[in-house]
Amino acid sequence: MKKLNPKERRNLMIGLSFLLPNLVGFLLFTLGPVAFSFGASFTNWDLTGIEPLQYIGIDNFANMFSDSQFWLYFVNTLYFLIGLPLAIFGSLGAALLLHQKVKGQVVYRTLLYLPSVTSGVAVMILWKALYNPDWGAVNQILESVARAFGHPEFRGPSWLLSTQNALALGVEKVGVVPNQWGIGAREALIFMGLWGAIGGGNTLLYLAALGNVPQELTEAAEMDGASRFRIFRNVTWPQLAPTTFFIIVMGFIGGLQGGFEQARVMTLGGPAGTTTTLAYYIYNKAFVEYQMGYACAVSLVLFGLIFAVTLVNWKFGNKEVSY
Amino acid sequence: MRTFFSATFAVLLLLCVVAWKIQPPPPGGSRTTLTWSTDNNPTRQEQVALFNKLNPDLYLMIDPNNTDQQKVIVQAIGGVGPDVFDTFGQASLEAYVRAGVAWDITEAMTEAGIEIPKIIWPVAVPSCVYKERYYGFPCNVNANAMWFNKDIFDKAGVPYPKPGWSWDDLIRIAKQLTVKGRDGKIQQFGLYFGWTNWGDRNDLLYQFGARIFNDDGTRCEIGSPEAIEAMQLSQDLMYKHRVTPSPIDEAALSTQGGWGSGGITYLMGGRVAMAYGGRWWLNLIRKEKPDLNLGVVEMPYAKVPSLAGGARCALVNRNSPKREAALRFIKYLASPEYNQLLNDQADALAPVMASAYTERFLHNPEWPKEDYNEVWREVVRKARPDELSPFLRGGEMSAISTQFDLIKSNLKAPAAALRDAERAGNDRILRNARLRPALNKLYLELTGSKP
Repeated sequence: MKKLNPKERRNLMIGLSFLLPNLVGFLLFTLGPVAFSFGASFTNWDLTGIEPLQYIGIDNFANMFSDSQFWLYFVNTLYFLIGLPLAIFGSLGAALLLHQKVKGQVVYRTLLYLPSVTSGVAVMILWKALYNPDWGAVNQILESVARAFGHPEFRGPSWLLSTQNALALGVEKVGVVPNQWGIGAREALIFMGLWGAIGGGNTLLYLAALGNVPQELTEAAEMDGASRFRIFRNVTWPQLAPTTFFIIVMGFIGGLQGGFEQARVMTLGGPAGTTTTLAYYIYNKAFVEYQMGYACAVSLVLFGLIFAVTLVNWKFGNKEVSY
Repeated sequence: MRTFFSATFAVLLLLCVVAWKIQPPPPGGSRTTLTWSTDNNPTRQEQVALFNKLNPDLYLMIDPNNTDQQKVIVQAIGGVGPDVFDTFGQASLEAYVRAGVAWDITEAMTEAGIEIPKIIWPVAVPSCVYKERYYGFPCNVNANAMWFNKDIFDKAGVPYPKPGWSWDDLIRIAKQLTVKGRDGKIQQFGLYFGWTNWGDRNDLLYQFGARIFNDDGTRCEIGSPEAIEAMQLSQDLMYKHRVTPSPIDEAALSTQGGWGSGGITYLMGGRVAMAYGGRWWLNLIRKEKPDLNLGVVEMPYAKVPSLAGGARCALVNRNSPKREAALRFIKYLASPEYNQLLNDQADALAPVMASAYTERFLHNPEWPKEDYNEVWREVVRKARPDELSPFLRGGEMSAISTQFDLIKSNLKAPAAALRDAERAGNDRILRNARLRPALNKLYLELTGSKP
């Protein structure tokens, strides 16, 4: 290792001193709590003080894996990821539209970005009203369309009040229950998420990536007589691969960590726990039941899941990124 | 660059000094400031104003943003907690005592001649007395009864319900008062009952003679025939008799009347003829709909005249440096001034029993139409605390609540749902008793056998 001269050492110290505030913050408020949480997951830490704090080995994990509720919430968390591919294609579609050179382009871009700048809670309260099965706009539109096509008896889904779902998953244990097939609270949250995702950061990322696709490649393909679809498939889409990969990775991470705000504001995790995700479960265990040790253990499992999914994405997704 | 950063730092420092210098003086001036962590509403403000008037050296202020139990515990342990905070029920009190943040005020209250269990409503005792030690004093006490809108009854020509009525009477009356619109949808329901509210639902269970837990809390007994009968009635009221809103009906009602949601708003909006609720509803009714012509009657009792009640109690933070001053607030809650104010405000019932046995309580000249205060006194007298198991915490009841959700949504018959709820409750009790040494010991003591 090269020995530093006094000037280099001084520069290094100055550089480190600039990094120090960030580093200290990271150590104190991120790495520290993560390490603490890791340790706490092997204890019976309980805010109520009913039990003296003690090391209990893997009891929390054994307890968690034998708890049917945990698995239901685990499945709920994965279920909400169904929206991810739809969100990706939706945001790509929106970006392609916004990439067109049309009059009022800035206005359209601003309007589409509105979901990202609007308060999440306000949006959720609005969606809650839209999903009202009786007088909400969503069912009013669906029922109007049905009437126009000669089905006046059609009634829209119960949305946030229904336990039904597109995969017919049961509410009491993991498994398929035929009478649970339909549209319910889970789908309502997925559709709402789609709206937010399409008009959000992903569209902006795609828009930026589209702007970086070399013009000469597109022009060369055009001169060779390629159709617009072929140009998109063989020129534009591969150029967007790094962005798509980034969005997929971040989408999985965000999706697995998500569901808390929606559950807290719109459904309280119901009906019958169908919209409780692991994030909301952790909150309930920690701050409603005060079982901090157990909540830390669930957090650790969630962290492991996210880490594993990200590794898989990285290993297999990276191969598709050729630019 | 160095000059720039130094100058920026100096300016920021100067701004800090300026901000510190121009900060407004504390609201109480030179008086000792006390913080009460509680919800903020107009009645609370009046209660605080009276305390400040009676105690010129103290200035009590409300902190409505830190009322959650975990916040209070963490802040109190960290030495920055409120001086006084609220607690709801026995489980909550136990948590505060075990966390070491509730101050034992037994001696102080006894010296002041305040024997808490003797003067407050019995239903409130478990909320402030733990293992025969006093930790607080109730702020108010509540139990529910059936509100009815006299105008709706008069319009339909239906006689008002009378004490001693039966569920058959209620269903007959509710059917008469349930009104459909031209589109076939129900515009006015005969009855509103808070099925999602754990306390309201327990009222129904108790009056059928059902138990949630056995006496020592070592077994969940929610699958009993009595409980099934009670929940069958609740499901029938929604889906068979169609006199009370199902969850979907309730969503439809929630803003059509323009009053938001919940029984109180449906009652004020004329969307229900009868609604099960507490005296504290008057807080909003007096303000929003003072002309509403209301009556109150005890709910029909199926088998046993039994219902659940509860109290909001104030505790003193053991770690507060001003706890002696805070104790004066607890004594204030026992004072005739506070109790009369609270009864006048109709913020449920005042904590001291004797305050409800006065002519002023029965017939407040300011509110002459409110001739039903005897009913409130009677239901609070009859009320008993909710059944708890030391082996389950509030949040852990979710396994049971899920089954109630399924009954309410008509996805499961009450018999099957409650049997599953009982099984889930017992599984959780046994698991907790096996896993937690203190509970393991308690289980052994109570049952004589290992879990």
